[in-house]
Amino acid sequence: MGRTARFLLSHAIDDWAERTPDQEAVRFESASLSYAELARKSSQLAGLLTESGVQRGDRVGIYMNKALGSAIGLYGIMKAGAAYVPLDPLAPVDRLRFVIGDCGIRHLISQPEKVETLREILMDPQGVHSVIGIPEEAGLPAETVAWETVFSMPEAAGGRAVIEQDLAYILYTSGSTGVPKGIMHTHRSGLSFAEWSVATYGLRPEDRLSSHAPLHFDLSTFDFFAGAIAGATTVIIPEALTKFPASLSKLMQDAKLTVWYSVPFALIQLLLHGNLAARELGSLRWILFAGEPFPTKHLCAVMSALPLARFSNLYGPTETNVCTYYHLPGLPEDAEAPIPIGRPCANVEALVVDGDSRPVVAGETGELLIRGGVVMNGYWGQPDKTERGFYRRKSPADTQDVFYRTGDLVRELPSGDFAYLGRKDRQVKTRGYRVELDEIEVALLSHAGVEEAAAYPIPDGQGSNLIEAAVVPKAGVHLTPHQVIEHLAGRLPPYAIPSRLVVTDGFPRTSTGKIDRRALQSQAAPVASV
Amino acid sequence: MSDMQTVLTDFVKQELAIGRSQPIRPEDDLLSTGVIDSLGLMQLVLFIDEKLGIKIPDEDVVIDNFKSIAALTGYLEGKKTTS
Repeated sequence: MGRTARFLLSHAIDDWAERTPDQEAVRFESASLSYAELARKSSQLAGLLTESGVQRGDRVGIYMNKALGSAIGLYGIMKAGAAYVPLDPLAPVDRLRFVIGDCGIRHLISQPEKVETLREILMDPQGVHSVIGIPEEAGLPAETVAWETVFSMPEAAGGRAVIEQDLAYILYTSGSTGVPKGIMHTHRSGLSFAEWSVATYGLRPEDRLSSHAPLHFDLSTFDFFAGAIAGATTVIIPEALTKFPASLSKLMQDAKLTVWYSVPFALIQLLLHGNLAARELGSLRWILFAGEPFPTKHLCAVMSALPLARFSNLYGPTETNVCTYYHLPGLPEDAEAPIPIGRPCANVEALVVDGDSRPVVAGETGELLIRGGVVMNGYWGQPDKTERGFYRRKSPADTQDVFYRTGDLVRELPSGDFAYLGRKDRQVKTRGYRVELDEIEVALLSHAGVEEAAAYPIPDGQGSNLIEAAVVPKAGVHLTPHQVIEHLAGRLPPYAIPSRLVVTDGFPRTSTGKIDRRALQSQAAPVASV
Repeated sequence: MSDMQTVLTDFVKQELAIGRSQPIRPEDDLLSTGVIDSLGLMQLVLFIDEKLGIKIPDEDVVIDNFKSIAALTGYLEGKKTTS
């Protein structure tokens, strides 16, 4: 049953299972799965899911710390014709209940460590019938199936008639209103990104990719699916290890990773506490980063510590996975200039438009709109939100002429690369003026003693905002709010100076490692005079 | 519980495990329950430096030394006697 055309994400592993059956597909600590094993075990899981009543188009959750079972889960669920829905292993019970209820999850892949939380989730009649990966004796109010049982199943015969337009996965992310949205991706959009990645980074079977991001963060689709398309090895980094930079850098060295992909925060932690100088990391040839702007001065420091690797900035909201990219040509000359987000990926069309959705003159600021293979189908169960998130260019003959509104402001540079200028909603009104919160953050970061900075609006109840900021000083540096404000006074117009500034040890972070500005906002004291 | 265990447990309870009602026992797993995340780890290392006067080198910031209050206390007491 040889197959060279790939229409589904699962085709990649079945393909390599025939070509290089013994090649390591996924590694976790001292254990691994070859392509043949991963193909067989995922087919067995698909068979069990089908027997348990999973229909084409259903949603199956994955609720566990990443391990080999997660990889089997990703492919097994898709082979059963369903979409996988990763649940943050550290999410509070209410959040888990919300996601499970929102998209109607009735089956979960999980692990014994989660039994206590599962007991809480399954307490209400949630509709979760069965949990795979838990021994039968666990005593949960749901059918539990151990992995041993799965691996005694026959492989799913023939597989469901899944096509590229079918949903492959749903990623839940918090919207600006705080209510999580389920972003629906198909095999087509997943493959569009994975194929582009393999071509752009020259991924091949000898590569060893990190799996650092959790499954509910879309960086993980590169780690697993680009790895699989290339016939390479994906090395899962144990969740606990991601917090221990010195241990993490040791794993990167011992596993001989060749490609790394993470948020900037993880790279900065490796630089500061990972003892990189004591590691042999010459095999790392590509270091990719995404999710947040990488402050240039910190990126320069990381690049200097890892001079043999090439660095690449990937940009895209979860709704479009990755839609633009920028390979750094070398160490940035200007440590104040932000790193560009680059050019559209192959199979992506970009438009920069004004407030009336009309294309701006090249070089002017506007909102980035994206069309192409990588774009999501929409938000699960939210047709209105989905409709509002897209712009239909008026070509009546072309029903495909629809662009996703990123909500991000960009400007085309003379080089043809896009510069990222911040979120549309990062422009706020204060005291009658429009200010760019990102501009305030850049000014804060330009202070030599500042390690991290965040600026956020506090609504004043009268239709306007006060601006607050928080900074984390560099290790060993003592900063007062007054010192930082004085620094800003030399750089920003008076109305952009925050009315309150706190110096703190560290910022709350989201489950994907980004600064949680919403948490900072809600921690802020009630509006008071400066 | 030793003095050091008490100091560490109090810090973790007050600063890191906010919102958790269960007591933290010396052998409890701090990592898989998410009590300690990247930020919490940095705060804990800083606290140990500033309040206990013990500087933990980066190479010693590993899972084995931080997985529980008991493990951390064991490591720190070992460091105190050798410094």
